[in-house]
Amino acid sequence: MTTPVLEIRNLHARIEDREILKGVNLIIPPGEVHAIMGRNGSGKSTLSYVLAGKEDYEITEGEVLLNGKNIFEMGADERAAAGLFLAFQYPIEIPGVATMTFLKAALNAQRKARGEDELKTPEFMRLVKEAGAQLNVDSDMLRRPLNVGFSGGEKKRAEIMQMALLKPSLAVLDETDSGLDIDALQVVSKGVNSLRDGQRSMLVITHYQRLLNHIVPDVVHVFSDGRIVESGDKSLALKLEAEGYANYGGEAA
Amino acid sequence: MVRPNFPVRLGAAEEALINQLKFAGADQAAERITVAGLPTRRVESYHYTDLKTLLRAVPPMAQPANQVDVPALDLPGSYNLTIVNGVASQQGTAPAGVTVGTVRGGVLTTRDDTLIHINNGLVREAMSLDIAPGVDQIIQIARRIEGVAAHVADALKIFVADGATATIVETFTGSDAAHVGNHATYLALGKDAVVTHVTVDLSGRDTSHFATNEYHLADGAKLRTLIIHAGSDLARTHLYPRMAGQGAHADVTGLNLVSEGQHADITMETNHAVPNTSSQPLFKSITRGRSKAVVQGKLVVARDAQKTDAKFMHQGLMLSDDAEILSKPELEIYADDVVCGHGSTCGKLDEDSLFYLLSRGIPKAEAETMLVRGFIAELVDPIENEALAEALNGIIDTWLLAGK
Ligand SMILES: Nc1ncnc2c1ncn2[C@@H]1O[C@H](COP(=O)(O)OP(=O)(O)O)[C@@H](O)[C@H]1O
Ligand SMILES: [Mg+2]
Repeated sequence: MTTPVLEIRNLHARIEDREILKGVNLIIPPGEVHAIMGRNGSGKSTLSYVLAGKEDYEITEGEVLLNGKNIFEMGADERAAAGLFLAFQYPIEIPGVATMTFLKAALNAQRKARGEDELKTPEFMRLVKEAGAQLNVDSDMLRRPLNVGFSGGEKKRAEIMQMALLKPSLAVLDETDSGLDIDALQVVSKGVNSLRDGQRSMLVITHYQRLLNHIVPDVVHVFSDGRIVESGDKSLALKLEAEGYANYGGEAA
Repeated sequence: MVRPNFPVRLGAAEEALINQLKFAGADQAAERITVAGLPTRRVESYHYTDLKTLLRAVPPMAQPANQVDVPALDLPGSYNLTIVNGVASQQGTAPAGVTVGTVRGGVLTTRDDTLIHINNGLVREAMSLDIAPGVDQIIQIARRIEGVAAHVADALKIFVADGATATIVETFTGSDAAHVGNHATYLALGKDAVVTHVTVDLSGRDTSHFATNEYHLADGAKLRTLIIHAGSDLARTHLYPRMAGQGAHADVTGLNLVSEGQHADITMETNHAVPNTSSQPLFKSITRGRSKAVVQGKLVVARDAQKTDAKFMHQGLMLSDDAEILSKPELEIYADDVVCGHGSTCGKLDEDSLFYLLSRGIPKAEAETMLVRGFIAELVDPIENEALAEALNGIIDTWLLAGK
């Protein structure tokens, strides 16, 4: 059997004294796109942060393997270099850090960690232009400080542009569709779909079924109260859209 | 020595200063120190920088030293001047439009401040610079204290003519000894002159660095200053910008970089003397280890100075838990139709920003450096000369790396 890109076994995590993830199990084979749907507050972003390596959480049980390697032995930067990418639900604005400087630092740090040569400036510029053109990220946006003054949609496009540049083996997209109008949704989805190559895997977190018309998943999981409670094919998303999350316990979404 | 008539007990530093001032014929300044001693925390403007405690010794007055001609910053094409142990010298011929000379005596306006009294009392001759329109080279003045521990008081008087543009950089460096440097710069901007004035303290840690910069802005003059403390264990720079002509504007900026055991202080008093002037004082302090950074900012607005627009801001970034960042804003406003304000913030590196950079594969040390650079960018980015901005970023990077 081929090694899954992501394997989560019985993952429990808490913040302060509150348990948020209560036994998550998930396997994503190479090339597959899995969607996680669940009501607000069910722990979807927490899962994405725990995967990416945010330090606020205490892992109390379970393990996570990225391409067969235990990610809890790696820092957030090492996980990124190992092929993990998180498109943030709320991308952070960082004044004073130029977007281009940031992109170059990220790309070269990952290359260095993998033992590859740093990119020369013209080659880097070419890659940025290419990824930018695909996602309507223009040179004006690239000249601004990182995410500063970007609209909600611009931030999401910039996240996917980073993904296109960094070419991860596993992309976790946390509510990338929220705050996007239909045009922006199409641009973003096209960007994501163009990265589907039969090898790269994705975990698409969303609250609404709408996104999954554009990024068609292989498997849909329903997330409720810190764990996956049902899995199925893409028709499960339609069922959720029609019936809501009420059948999965707790208050209605 | 018993001094039954004087309530203040004088230490070794004060005794040395009194003798030096008397020898220079500055009896009044000597008398002030005899009576009051060095300022303590009970003197309001020295509340956070108690000189009597911090300055324990003052070495003998400097002897002329061998010239060291290498400028401190590598700025291609800059016109370089040096003042070594108080002795001014010119390198090569001045570019067209720049006249270098000397003027007798001190250059600072007398104020109720001990360091200013000392400078004015000890300086016999100041270097003068006259800058006419059409000079595009950076003018770099390297002020150095070389040799054994020495006390230096030096002064510089700069006139930038009406309509002229100038970029003036001063560096403070020297041998790593327990020097005391007391430096003065008087900079007058003619009508519509546009001046960038950068000073950088890169002295050895044992040096005590004191500087006073006085600015006089005529109608429509535009000034940008950037004061960087990145050297001595004890540094204090006074800034006195005076908006003397309508339409004058000053971006008064500064940066304290302090590590374990260091104390840096920027004390500003901006005077808006006429209507329709503005100033934007913006200071930042970055601390690590047990250290202290102080910024005091006073905005004085004269009765006639309507429509003054001035805001003082100090932002602190603590890279350790043991440091102190102190802000003292003061408003003294006699006009009624003005927009004046002040603010200060203090915090650590933002955890969410750090995580965002890490999540893109940037290692922690590099991510922290990026964020610190980002914090400072507001001060360095407006410097238009790229070589100068790069040199200043280099100084900041060196400081950051030294702490790792
Ligand atoms: N930093 C935090 N401190 C305490 N509780 C938190 C924190 N972050 C999230 N939570 C809580 O964890 C639960 C799951 O949040 P989150 O993972 O953001 O859910 P989702 O992304 O599914 O909307 C929520 O009840 C939320 O209030
Ligand atoms: Mg969420």
